[in-house]
Amino acid sequence: MNVTLQNVSKRFGATRVVENVSLTIEEGELFFLLGPSGCGKTTLLRLLAGFYQPDEGEIFFGERRMNDVPPNRRHTALVFQNYALWPHLSVFENVAYGLDVRGIRGAERETRVREALAVTRMQEYAERSPAQLSGGQQQRVALARALVIRPDVLLLDEPLSNLDAKLRLEMRDEIRRIHQQLRQTMVYVTHDQNEALSLADRIAVMNNGRVQQVGTPRELYREPRNRFVAGFIGEANFVDGTVTGSNGEHLHVRTAVGDLTVAARRRAFHPGQTVTCAVRPESVRADELRNPLSVTVREVAYLGSVEQYVLEMADGSRWKAIESNPYRVRKIGETVTMGVHHKDVILLED
Amino acid sequence: MERRRFPPAIVGMLACLTLFFGVFLFYPVGYMLRGAFFVEGKFTLEFFRLALASPLVRESVATSFWLGVLVTLFTTLLTLPLAHLFTRYRFFGKGLLGALLLVPMIMPPFVGAIGMRQVFGQYGSLNLVLAKLGCMDLARPIDWLGGGGFWGVVILETLNLYPIMFLNVSAAMANVDPTLREAADNLGASPWQVFRTITVPLILPGYFAGAILVFIWAFTDLGTPLIFGLNRVVSVQIFDRVSDVATNPMGFVLVCIVLVLTVVLFLVSRRLVGAKRYEMLARGHTAGAEVVLRGWPAVAAVAGVLLVVCLSLLPHVSVLLQSFAQRWFFTVLPGEMTWQNYEQIFQHPLTVLSIRNSLFYSSLSAGVDLVLGVMIAYLLTRRKIPGAVVLDAVAMLPLALPGLVLAFGYVGGFNWDVAWLNPRNNPIVLLVIAYSVRRLPYIVRSAYAGFQQTSISLEEASLNLGASSLRTLRKITIPLVMANLVAGGVLTFSYAMLEVSDSLILAMRENFYPITKAIYSLMSRIEPNAPSVASALGILGMILLTASLFLASRVLGKRMGQLFRAG
Repeated sequence: MNVTLQNVSKRFGATRVVENVSLTIEEGELFFLLGPSGCGKTTLLRLLAGFYQPDEGEIFFGERRMNDVPPNRRHTALVFQNYALWPHLSVFENVAYGLDVRGIRGAERETRVREALAVTRMQEYAERSPAQLSGGQQQRVALARALVIRPDVLLLDEPLSNLDAKLRLEMRDEIRRIHQQLRQTMVYVTHDQNEALSLADRIAVMNNGRVQQVGTPRELYREPRNRFVAGFIGEANFVDGTVTGSNGEHLHVRTAVGDLTVAARRRAFHPGQTVTCAVRPESVRADELRNPLSVTVREVAYLGSVEQYVLEMADGSRWKAIESNPYRVRKIGETVTMGVHHKDVILLED
Repeated sequence: MERRRFPPAIVGMLACLTLFFGVFLFYPVGYMLRGAFFVEGKFTLEFFRLALASPLVRESVATSFWLGVLVTLFTTLLTLPLAHLFTRYRFFGKGLLGALLLVPMIMPPFVGAIGMRQVFGQYGSLNLVLAKLGCMDLARPIDWLGGGGFWGVVILETLNLYPIMFLNVSAAMANVDPTLREAADNLGASPWQVFRTITVPLILPGYFAGAILVFIWAFTDLGTPLIFGLNRVVSVQIFDRVSDVATNPMGFVLVCIVLVLTVVLFLVSRRLVGAKRYEMLARGHTAGAEVVLRGWPAVAAVAGVLLVVCLSLLPHVSVLLQSFAQRWFFTVLPGEMTWQNYEQIFQHPLTVLSIRNSLFYSSLSAGVDLVLGVMIAYLLTRRKIPGAVVLDAVAMLPLALPGLVLAFGYVGGFNWDVAWLNPRNNPIVLLVIAYSVRRLPYIVRSAYAGFQQTSISLEEASLNLGASSLRTLRKITIPLVMANLVAGGVLTFSYAMLEVSDSLILAMRENFYPITKAIYSLMSRIEPNAPSVASALGILGMILLTASLFLASRVLGKRMGQLFRAG
């Protein structure tokens, strides 16, 4: 079922937690709400679940307006950050709960619970109590409990944040596998950009209650719209500049670190306009001849697969650069020339 | 593995505790069991057969049992909605109302009974008002406290004991992670289904803990049935056997019946609940778990709570009125108001002495409890001692041991030639210890919580710098857990002030009477103003208790409720 939000706002007292959010989540999509803590992403999720009512705007599941539908009539299933497994019920009973309240009994109840436990690979643990399970296993049960009711929308609230790093990677793969297997519409809240980039069909990046940009992981990384998105998804070096000219294919921008030639994209810029340029650290390369920049190496950090530099630019500002497994070791204080491909200079709106 | 050696201080503490519990807990209980089951060294069930054949005993046990069941039931019905309201909603005046709900605890119900008789008696205020309004004929008054005082006792005990239930149930409710309810809501459960399938099972352990305390208190309460003249209950029957304890084994038999019943109840509830004591898994963080009530729902909530508060304060108000009454016969309110009763309690030798005695006994018992409580909590939290489980269980045992039982055991077991240990000559030692033993679980719990909240590394730092264990305890640990100790001590003190059954049974000579026994003895005098003086004394006790409870709650804050939980 697709989900539509139109100009949704939510306030708590005087604080505007969600502001004028409009989104469409497609049927079968794994959609991410990504942002720093306090950006309103969890509130947005709870608005979908019905625990909060929007102060303004409308929420639709398919054609149905959901604004005043109570949580227990929405047919969403939320996977809580702390899993919220009922300690007095066994794993089986936890999973069966949603079926019980729907009056589904007998063989169908049994089969569907077994199925859900099979999907999350928890068949053997059906009779255990939640307290006897590890964090990762509890997570799987919470997922099974949500999946078993075949919800219109599956909501996940930072589901991996309570797991250690290794388990988190494992569960990430599990969620991808389950999504591919079931093609269930999912809305997934996280502050972890790696989780979002690796799993999402599309991501909405949020900050201060507003949606900053919606797009596929590739779009967000390659063409962030503003400084926040560029800085939140991946890293970026920023420099202000003025457009000096264009020839249809390329723009010329004068900046404090040197003149840059930028590949033209969809958005039009006119000469004299001030812009912000963003350059990813891995785009600053020694083997790139375009946009040559004279820099001085100030710090070197060897990280195994990559070598990370802090460079002093012509105007004295500092940029980050990453070189993949270099043959040549750069020394601190060395002055070198690095280039940036035309396509790797991103022009931002702000 | 190498055998662990314990420093002499620890061994000393363990020896002290063993001696204390041995002499003052196990010996009297054992003495009563022997008295009930053995004749001239031979085991017999003859006494029990006789007791159960007696209609009086059967009726008394049944009545007491019903009393306990009804009081537990009524406190439950009263408390569930209240606790729900207080844990889930926020409304105007919530803090104040929450405090008012606890007020009934500041007076033992038998004092309230004195005032209630005046209001609800056959020629009491209520009937007089009804008669004046023409709703009732005074020739055939309504018997509000009907059933020979049975319902009067039920009402008073309900009104007195519901705060304990309230503290337990609301703590249990607050302990239920809100996301557990949200998860059920989210999966499609109706509010009633959420309550039935999630909330109830999760609060059950907390509820049972409170329910058992309430049941045992109601089952064994001595003062209230005495004042209402409800003599065919177990507690009064036991009380009547105190004087011939040495010659008549029936007292022991009755005590054993009470003991068996309470122990069975405890075990059954442990069985039912103990296995399901849920460690809450990781808690969720949901903002705004409390819903703010406004408008009519808020008004209804406040009105409802106020109604309960007013009802539960009726006994207090009536005692207050009584305490100012010069004479109060056949009038709605006292005929003449006076301060004389208060003047009298500070002049009359019986009352003056009783106030002094109570203060003295209570301070001593608080002191004894502090020493024992710190020792036990220290051993349990900071030392790996053999038999820690046993020590913990023994320290909590008095919760299941009604004061009535313990006091009766003391009277029987310490009928020795040692004058200062025989309550017939001098009850001070036994009274103080009876008070202490009964309240020990509270102070152990309080101190235990304090120790647990204080990081052990603070003590390790002291040991590391060369201080001895004892010095560390004195200089570092105790100052850090002081708040909890003060609160526990204050509580012990105040409950010792108003302990009823121990005082009624153990204080046999007038010059040793504490306040509660003085009130009781005043009530049985025929002087016309005796109930008024008794009430004035009751009010004085209430003021003392209020002040100390207020102090304790200041220090302990919300953790106050933890002290009133069993198991």
